Amino acid sequence: MVDDIQYLRNIGISAHIDSGKTTLTERILYYTKRIFAVHEVKGKDGVGAKMDSMDLEKERGITISSAATYCEWKGHKINIIDTPGHVDFTIEVERSLKVLDGAILVLCAVGGVQSQSITVDRQMNRHKVPRVAFINKCDRAGADPYRVVGQLRQRLNHNAILMQIPIGLEGDFSGVIDLVSMKAIYFEGPFGEDVKEGEIPSSLLDEAVSKREELLEAASMFSDELMEAILDGSVSEERIHEAVREGTISRQLTPVFMGSAYKNMGVQPVLDAVANYLPSPEEVENSALDMDEEEKEVLLSSDPNDPLVALAFKLEVTLYGQLTHLRIYQGTIGKGDDLVNTRTRKRIKVGRLVRMHADEMKDIPGARAGDIVALFGVSCFSGDTFTDGRLNWTMSSIFVPDPVISLAISPKDNRSDTNMAKALSRFIREDPTFQSRVDGESGQTIISGMGELHLEIYVERMKREFGAEVDTGIPQVAYREAISRRLEFDYTHKKQTGGAGQYGRVAGFMEPSEEGGYEFINRVKGGVIPSEFIPAVDKGFQSCLRKGLLIGFPVLGMRITVNDGRHHAVDSSERAFIQAAIGAFKQAYLRANPVILEPIMKVSVESPSEFQGNVMSSINQRRGLIMSSAEDGVFTTVEAEVPLAEMFGYATILRSMSQGKAEFTMEFSRYSKVPESIKEELKLRYKEKS
Amino acid sequence: MKDFLKVSPLKILEGSTYKELGKGNLGVLMARAGVGKTSCLINIAFDKLFRGGKLVHVSLKDAPEKVTSYYHVIFSDLVKVLNMENEYEVRTLLDKNRIILAYLKESFDLNRLRKNLTNLIKEIDFTPDTLVVDGVDFAEAGRDIFEGFKGIAKEFNLEVWFSALSHRHITEVNERGIPFPCNNLDDLFNLIIQLDSTQSGVFLKLLKEHDSEVLPDAMVRLEPNNFLAME
Repeated sequence: MVDDIQYLRNIGISAHIDSGKTTLTERILYYTKRIFAVHEVKGKDGVGAKMDSMDLEKERGITISSAATYCEWKGHKINIIDTPGHVDFTIEVERSLKVLDGAILVLCAVGGVQSQSITVDRQMNRHKVPRVAFINKCDRAGADPYRVVGQLRQRLNHNAILMQIPIGLEGDFSGVIDLVSMKAIYFEGPFGEDVKEGEIPSSLLDEAVSKREELLEAASMFSDELMEAILDGSVSEERIHEAVREGTISRQLTPVFMGSAYKNMGVQPVLDAVANYLPSPEEVENSALDMDEEEKEVLLSSDPNDPLVALAFKLEVTLYGQLTHLRIYQGTIGKGDDLVNTRTRKRIKVGRLVRMHADEMKDIPGARAGDIVALFGVSCFSGDTFTDGRLNWTMSSIFVPDPVISLAISPKDNRSDTNMAKALSRFIREDPTFQSRVDGESGQTIISGMGELHLEIYVERMKREFGAEVDTGIPQVAYREAISRRLEFDYTHKKQTGGAGQYGRVAGFMEPSEEGGYEFINRVKGGVIPSEFIPAVDKGFQSCLRKGLLIGFPVLGMRITVNDGRHHAVDSSERAFIQAAIGAFKQAYLRANPVILEPIMKVSVESPSEFQGNVMSSINQRRGLIMSSAEDGVFTTVEAEVPLAEMFGYATILRSMSQGKAEFTMEFSRYSKVPESIKEELKLRYKEKS
Repeated sequence: MKDFLKVSPLKILEGSTYKELGKGNLGVLMARAGVGKTSCLINIAFDKLFRGGKLVHVSLKDAPEKVTSYYHVIFSDLVKVLNMENEYEVRTLLDKNRIILAYLKESFDLNRLRKNLTNLIKEIDFTPDTLVVDGVDFAEAGRDIFEGFKGIAKEFNLEVWFSALSHRHITEVNERGIPFPCNNLDDLFNLIIQLDSTQSGVFLKLLKEHDSEVLPDAMVRLEPNNFLAME
């Protein structure tokens, strides 16, 4: 249990893929004595880095799930959440950021601020996460940390300030100069564990003095004491740390460190920075919604003596059952305690409480406000809130984007069939952006998610973790339908064939709704449709929205107003009015000029500048709209909006056109009307299918 | 919807001889820091876009995200001022006809711009009529760069608008009445406009118009909130 919350840090390590964040985490765990040997991400030794706990991640050298781990550094307890670098897994990042109090933003000294860094940085801003930056890979050919600092300022709008300067670069990189202590720092020993201080090399003294002045000037904006000390000539290290801490926590300053995690250089000062500059849980404002007070926002206290509020931010399947990662915001949890899930109101008992260390765990008797722990054997969904029953509060819901792509899957054999069902039920609980359903007509299982890679990974996980081998269909875009004009309806449902008759008349109009959702307005007067049947009318219309009549996709943005109707004293029933509403929908829908909407993705392609023309042309060929192109050094980033339907296989095409040097990210932007020619093609395809 | 051109800051050219900057030519909007230079420049960009032209916004200081947000904020104001009902359609059309080229961290050189413009024309069939260039430091840039822009204006058959920062404490004015920092460059520019904020309001004054003599009252008064011409 963490004794003093002010020495607790909940941090994330977030960055672009391949910037070396998993290697950095591995070194952090080594220096904090949580592990006793270091491994590479794509380890030749077959062990792999500690944080990449899934086999697949180890093989691909990428981090997919946010494994949590715990370590201690100079009297501080640090919970680290490793976050994924692929934009397809942004829900993982979103969830991690929600429970973090601070982060290390890892940047590559060669690649600099890349497109994924921009996406992750935007998410961090949304969650108000203070960060320190670590420019990694200073030993690589082409390393230029000064260029990266410039990009942090210009591209990410950070008030980035150097806390160190490098001693040599590329092959000559041998340490850093600490601009606070004005000492050279070298990392000796087989794994850089011996931090040695020395005098600043004379060739770098002038530069160090000038960069320190910049640091003092920036830091003094956050401390009058430091400003006075600068004028008096009595600047102490402590004053600088205080001012930098103030600036960092208020997110008005980003202190920048540098090194090479792979070469074991520069990691310990980053740990010092986590302890010195990132906030403790009590310095961060968190809020919840009071379900008893119409979801009124309430501030959480971070006081262990207050009633418990905790958030399940990640679920993992293990050999022993479901593992639920929990962030405690206020109160305490002890083994044997009763917890209440705010969503289900179900009470559960805390059996095993563990502290996670990647895929290893240690049993603990209790945990308190601010801490990140895991529970065993608790059935819940990701994003659920737990209390001790005294409060009915829920943490504000984590933003979950709608899936934009679907894929039909079918098991290859009976064994796979059973295992696939188990896998799907697990994935749905783990990841709210992953959905699964059985298509009523074809009987096929359809999985939906945020991109091609997102679904590919789940298909592979089914095979590896659950032994379910599946065949996949062609990815399908999640189209939507919408009407584009107001149209009146007047429909009578009448059935008199044996038994009780059915009668119901529904009249009114449908029109587009700008809000994008469904709206039902009851303007029936004089009881022509009895009030007990109005919900049935609403239900009837809603049932039609699930499958539009144009191409069979859900209907968006429709307002239905019912203003007239008729009923029969004997033959009218709920069922009759549901049927009347369905009839009215069918009568009007196709005449209300329905259009097909397709998901438009915000695409960002980064490449060496010589490929700008090719990149632009490839986007243009995909019905894309180029919004901007930014030149930065030898790189160009082209931003565009492109229909998702045109993006399948783009990764391969981009690789081949750029000799593997370009990369892209995409995220959902909005729905937009498809051109007429594509509308006709989709209609034809739907007709052939049905 | 009201007509944008009725409130465009380029109404200042209505009474002039040539009425426009013209392709192959350079124009500059001068103002002191904080007066609203960027907003006014973007209104000039909107003038070109509302006339159906295609425009490239060249930024030498801000990343595309920031430039885009300037356009969006100013467009939101326009929606209200012009009582725009078909906001989505207009915005889509304007976005389609505008591309931002940003040059970060001193990445700018004229050859790079030339190459980027060629790519736009060849690869995506986007042939601009206007370049709006923000972020050139007139005090430091030197004559060569503007001569280079003049060459680009002629080569690509487009008009180029700049914004220039003037300083309160530098009062140099050449014999033709053109103040610093354009006093040694005015021969390269066909239009020079000054944005000035005084106690009686915000004014746009025409300082140079091609080879014509500028009348002393060639000015429009702008709304200080949105830098649109008062009707």
